[in-house]
Amino acid sequence: MRHPLNRRTFLKSSGVVLALPMLELSNPALASNTTSQTKRLVSICATLGLYSPSWFPTTTGYDYEPSEYLTLLDSYRNQYTVLSGLGHEEQTGRQPHNSEITWLTAARRPGMDGFRNTISVDQVVAKSLGYTTRYPSIVLGTVSEQSQSYTHNGVMVPAETSPSAVFKKMFLQGTPEEIKREVQSLQEGGSILDHLKEQTTSLQKSASSVDRIKLEQYFDAVRTAENDLFEAGAWLHRPKPKVEMAIPEDLTDPAELIGRIKLMFALIPLILETDSSRIISMMIQDHSVVPNVPGATHDLHNLSHHGQDPAKIAQLRTVENEIVRSFGELLEGLSTTSDASGSLLDQTTVIFGSNLGNANSHDTRHLPILLAGGGYSHGQHVEFEGEHDTPLSNLFVSVLQWMGVETDNFGQSTGSLIWS
Amino acid sequence: MKPRIPFFLLLATALVTNVLASASLREDVKPLVDAACMACHNGVAIAPLDMAKLGYDLTDSDTYHSWERIYERIVRGEMPPAGIPLPGDEIVDKALSSLKSALTEQNLKQRNGKRVPLRRLTQLEYAYTLHDLLGISERDSLELSSTLPAEAATIGFNTIAANQGISALHVKSYLEVANKALDKVLLYGSPPPSVTHKIDYSKSDYLAFAAYGKILGFGIVKRLSDAYVAFFDGGSTYMFHSATEGYQVPHAGWYKVSVDVYPYQAKSPVTLTVYRGRKAGIVASLDDLIGVFDLTSPQVAEVTTYLVPGDLIGVSVADLQAPPGPYVDYYHPDRNVMFYKGEGIAFKSLSFEGPLYETWPPTGTQQLLKGMAFDEEGQVILTKEPYEHVVEIVGEFATRAFRRPLRDGEAEMYASLAEPLIAENRPFLDVVRLPLRAILSAPTFLYLSSDETTDEQYILATRLSYFLWRSMPDDELIELAAAGKLSDPDVLTSQVERLLDDPKAQRFIKDFAGQAFRLYELKATTPDAGLYPEYDDRLGQAIGQETEMFLAELVEENHCVDKLVDADFTFVNRRLAEHYGFNGVEGQQMRRVAIPDDSPRGGLITQASVHKVTANGTITSPVPRGNYVLENILGTPVPPPPPGIAGLEPDTRGTTTIREMLTAHRNEPVCAGCHQTIDPPGFALESFDPIGGFRDKYRISGPKYEYEGAFYPGPYQQGPEVDPSGVTSQGKSFADINEYKDVLKLQVDQIARHFVTQLFAFATGAEVQFADQDKVEYVLERVAADEYPVRNMIHEVVQSDLFTMR
Repeated sequence: MRHPLNRRTFLKSSGVVLALPMLELSNPALASNTTSQTKRLVSICATLGLYSPSWFPTTTGYDYEPSEYLTLLDSYRNQYTVLSGLGHEEQTGRQPHNSEITWLTAARRPGMDGFRNTISVDQVVAKSLGYTTRYPSIVLGTVSEQSQSYTHNGVMVPAETSPSAVFKKMFLQGTPEEIKREVQSLQEGGSILDHLKEQTTSLQKSASSVDRIKLEQYFDAVRTAENDLFEAGAWLHRPKPKVEMAIPEDLTDPAELIGRIKLMFALIPLILETDSSRIISMMIQDHSVVPNVPGATHDLHNLSHHGQDPAKIAQLRTVENEIVRSFGELLEGLSTTSDASGSLLDQTTVIFGSNLGNANSHDTRHLPILLAGGGYSHGQHVEFEGEHDTPLSNLFVSVLQWMGVETDNFGQSTGSLIWS
Repeated sequence: MKPRIPFFLLLATALVTNVLASASLREDVKPLVDAACMACHNGVAIAPLDMAKLGYDLTDSDTYHSWERIYERIVRGEMPPAGIPLPGDEIVDKALSSLKSALTEQNLKQRNGKRVPLRRLTQLEYAYTLHDLLGISERDSLELSSTLPAEAATIGFNTIAANQGISALHVKSYLEVANKALDKVLLYGSPPPSVTHKIDYSKSDYLAFAAYGKILGFGIVKRLSDAYVAFFDGGSTYMFHSATEGYQVPHAGWYKVSVDVYPYQAKSPVTLTVYRGRKAGIVASLDDLIGVFDLTSPQVAEVTTYLVPGDLIGVSVADLQAPPGPYVDYYHPDRNVMFYKGEGIAFKSLSFEGPLYETWPPTGTQQLLKGMAFDEEGQVILTKEPYEHVVEIVGEFATRAFRRPLRDGEAEMYASLAEPLIAENRPFLDVVRLPLRAILSAPTFLYLSSDETTDEQYILATRLSYFLWRSMPDDELIELAAAGKLSDPDVLTSQVERLLDDPKAQRFIKDFAGQAFRLYELKATTPDAGLYPEYDDRLGQAIGQETEMFLAELVEENHCVDKLVDADFTFVNRRLAEHYGFNGVEGQQMRRVAIPDDSPRGGLITQASVHKVTANGTITSPVPRGNYVLENILGTPVPPPPPGIAGLEPDTRGTTTIREMLTAHRNEPVCAGCHQTIDPPGFALESFDPIGGFRDKYRISGPKYEYEGAFYPGPYQQGPEVDPSGVTSQGKSFADINEYKDVLKLQVDQIARHFVTQLFAFATGAEVQFADQDKVEYVLERVAADEYPVRNMIHEVVQSDLFTMR
């Protein structure tokens, strides 16, 4: 197997002096206090927005006055930064909610004819980590397969919606029959690839020199693919981690919006702690039914289009209070779990927010975004001002750099996100 | 054993040869250069090319390309420019013939006896090949193949082997796609029951909510006793579609979809549109328009379509007349849908019948599992030893997949993959799947003619079918190849006729138009809704179809290639006819019409698709449009601008026109050289707006208005006048697009040359290089007398030995 060549080392040794992006050091606020610890990423999107007047604080800086929703999280105030003035450009797609498929990708004009999504930020990291963990990434949803995670060629990674199935996948040893079938499938893939290598070698014998180069590329591709299968297969033979939690019971009623969110939020610290995966994205979806929240008489989509009706706004806030409070429980779960190098929260970058800035008008500008954990220096409300939003992609660049992905661009980025 | 020559000696010999060759080239060419070029190309004057510094060593790739371009420009008469006389014929002839043979020699040396390196199936070809090979639906094949890594977006065709890459991701995707494709053939199970499901709209709770709930002000559909009426298209992603109404497609297959509707308050035909889509999140994505019906009376509109679980059918309205007044009528609390007087469609019901099939197991399965028997339930029965079945199935399948007879032992080699599974007593369909997957990822399958020893006849069959069908050869082509008859010129002619007449030739038209005329970019931009409110998906679809049907007609009717520039017919439906200002076209079916005398339309360059792909949605610029004419029609592109030159920033406020800005630009001497060639065709096309509408004046954006804190564009206004006149770099002036067409038609030889060049590149998988140009000229000579008929050009390309050259 080839050794990954570190870009800095390479440039140094080849005597080239270049102004490399300063990576995470370019933003003092994002300077992580430890460098050797495991780094993780969790992103959570409330796709129907978060009522802006209840979300955004009216003052900025360290001594900002928490808003209604942020009051619910205020005990973790020093563990997160509230960012406002961020967004993606050109998010008005075929219909206004399409921006939910580009929240993590920043692709333009989602859903329009001919649209093809681009890779999402979580999958960039998953790709770079590969099979370091049993699963390169975990993608969760609350009601449907739809997700915000997309591969490099714009293919959606389907979300898992059953907490019990996720638990089983992570922590329950499969039956011998199940393991056998998985092993079989990998072995079959391996034997095909092995066979293809032989075929290629025999073709190369009669090939012209020009074609031989093409066949070599093909051979290399097959060999690398074989290696990937091998790495995935290696996990099949390692026992899964044991956890104390019992297998969760799924809530089948889609009205259980909050209950379903909480079940998933309870699994996230376990997945990270056991290092089953380091990358998790979760989408809080539209359940199209009136949620089981006292006082709510309309479904959340309907409430989000409140039309400034005070009664509807009151209900909307009631439901969203519950969502934000659940998120607080996730922060609690992450901060109370710790290992030798600190709390899980300190090792995990958490992005929480929405693809809609104002769901009432489907406005995709000025998104609610909260950045928690990761060992960054937190505690502020930072407002990015200007005629246009600062690219949310800039935050993704910073996060990618913190995760150790050597890049200085993503999506619509103009640089990394900088504040002091 | 060959004698070994020390490397340094080889190197020295090569150097000496280069020196000698370049000295003799210099001797022959320099007199022409001194006489005709050095006045400008001397490094002092403004001309970018400095010929004083240009060497004669063609083994240097930059030098080679410079001379190649110099040669072409002199031969085309573009250089030296008017006013600079050429020296005597003897000097010119000697220089050009010496240059030509030196360039040819170097070109051949550089490509090392191989014109086309191994060429991989493109994503699209992989899809069509799966479809033809396995008998799975075209839609499934295209959908599965879309998960393969996208083809690199390079200039030129994606069939060009030199542009194609391969990675581990490709290999993993091939294995995966093959597995899923085989699922569709092998996991056929028992025959699914064909059932009918009817959605009765009048009983829909969702529509009741939409009629009476306060969604964006007030209800958006109108309730009648037997139906709900839709008055506008915007709600179709939420309402009426089968997912909202609780219908799930139970099994993949063909379904008959019926929509029971009647026109409501209609004064003219109203249009019912039927979409196939998926429910993504809150609302449906209506991806494919599968049916369009003009209604004048109650009707049950029927469409037969392939559906898979997760699909939905959406129905909507189009081309409705609204009464004058504010166009957000439905949202208004006082003037809501109950009192609305505009046209609508009343939807009674939506029914599904299916899946429909003729045989079970499906035909593709029976074909694949050759030699096996099936019980009454359609399950496989072994009639001999499993391994013998595997060998038979694999032998048959690999022969078709590899597009040639198998070598001795080749079938067994693949079949042997199944042996361990047979030993484990695995179910037969699992056993046979393994070698089939291997075949679908094998280099002999993925690369066209990967095997040097393959007979020419099969190479020809493969090139021909991938050229005109974008897929594998059929039985007839293979049989002719086997009989050694395909290369017979008469047989080849009749086969080209047969392939072009087959519906599969549509794939060629689509893929060629997509790349050669950039139709694939048709949906890359979205017209600004404020400036071009008349644009919608239906218009977008019609303008793409126009160009495809037009090109198909050129091939079918053997029209002359100058029809690209000027024609007296085109294809429209009512929507597009209105856009073009043609009267008397009713209905949504595309059909051939004669161009009215007073219309500027006629010819590819006057089609809205071209105008749209050369605009950015909001504005047009003569630069990309001029480049389109130069690159895609004439094949005489100009080099890109020098680095550091910023693009123009036009605005829609109407203070200056793009033309005024370009004029300033052209006054810069560095820019003038190229822009006097680029801009004139672009000026002529300024008469067409970003969506291909004809215009005398530019539209400028109106004041925005605010609603709920967000800003929406107000109605556009008329701005400055368009000036479509110009003078070409050859000094020919034109007043407008009609006169410019006449100027362009004078260059029909060059248009034909480019067309033939493109056909060769697309078909063979390698660009036409310098050494190939005589073959192109030969094809042109054969069709020049008939003024370059398109179908004949395709025939001549196939008959050329460049077509089969490896």
